[in-house]
Amino acid sequence: MDIEKQIRQIAKSIFWQNIYKSAKEIGSIQLFENTSNFSGLQNLFLFWLSVYESLYSDLIQKEYKYLDDKVIDDDIRCDAFLYWRSQMRENELHKYKVEQQASKLKFKESGSVSTFNVDLQ
Amino acid sequence: MENNEILNESISDLFKNNYDDSLIKDNKICFTINEQLYRVRMPNQGEQSLTEYKKNLAQLEYLKQEGCITRSQLIRQLKLNNVIDIEHLEDLKENLSKELKRFWFLLATKDSGDKTKILEYSENIKKIQESLQKLSMDMAFHLSPSLESRLEKFYVEYITFICTEHHPNSEWKKVWEALEDFNKADTSLTNKAIANMTWLLLNRR
Repeated sequence: MDIEKQIRQIAKSIFWQNIYKSAKEIGSIQLFENTSNFSGLQNLFLFWLSVYESLYSDLIQKEYKYLDDKVIDDDIRCDAFLYWRSQMRENELHKYKVEQQASKLKFKESGSVSTFNVDLQ
Repeated sequence: MENNEILNESISDLFKNNYDDSLIKDNKICFTINEQLYRVRMPNQGEQSLTEYKKNLAQLEYLKQEGCITRSQLIRQLKLNNVIDIEHLEDLKENLSKELKRFWFLLATKDSGDKTKILEYSENIKKIQESLQKLSMDMAFHLSPSLESRLEKFYVEYITFICTEHHPNSEWKKVWEALEDFNKADTSLTNKAIANMTWLLLNRR
């Protein structure tokens, strides 16, 4: 099994997800034997721990129609979902920015309109 | 569900979660060659600085050598001599990446029940990823004589020389005292050590 696949399997396991959650809540729990100078593999593991934590959280909250246990189990489907989710979030952010810009263009008091008589001669 | 079934399921879950975490438990990777135990460990700050310094010296040395060529010069030469067009391969990689994203999008919006489409898209994704890997390896192979690639190789080899240890008398000791010893050593050991060091340093440089 390739190393990244192995790292992802460990990171998505309930055992490590629970340790990660406790470490974040309690603070004094150490994930590794070393407390500094993390290896590239340890950094990669930390990255996948947080990714799978967010996926399990989305799954519990039933945030997305297409996310289920089978997606999390299958690395290819999981990659596809993560890409799709990032695109959705990017679109939402873009939509929000456009709305914000549009709201800045509106008159502060939309009801008050002034009229003038203009002599064109 | 009966107690027995619950117990069996719990035990099976326990085994499912019992993956080998030796890769991440500390900042070292252990391996065996000819029944001898070895390990590569993360370099400390001093060792990293020393390796950077040695790399700079190596760069000066390489620059004096006949035929020393930079990456961009080599790309031009390879194209001029009709060996390989690296820029064309870069474009191919970009197109494949776009195609990969298209299939990811299609796969992500499939319900788990739609097994035929899931299998079809997953197979396509695997093929694209294999092509991308092959392209990257082709490019790395053709660009390996460049100054940049040689320096990268020097860095990993020097760090491996410093940070590979064995365990002869219940104590971890450096395998090689001098770089010459490393260069003369059995390649089955040095190649394995370099491969493990590359994984250990992943994304750290």
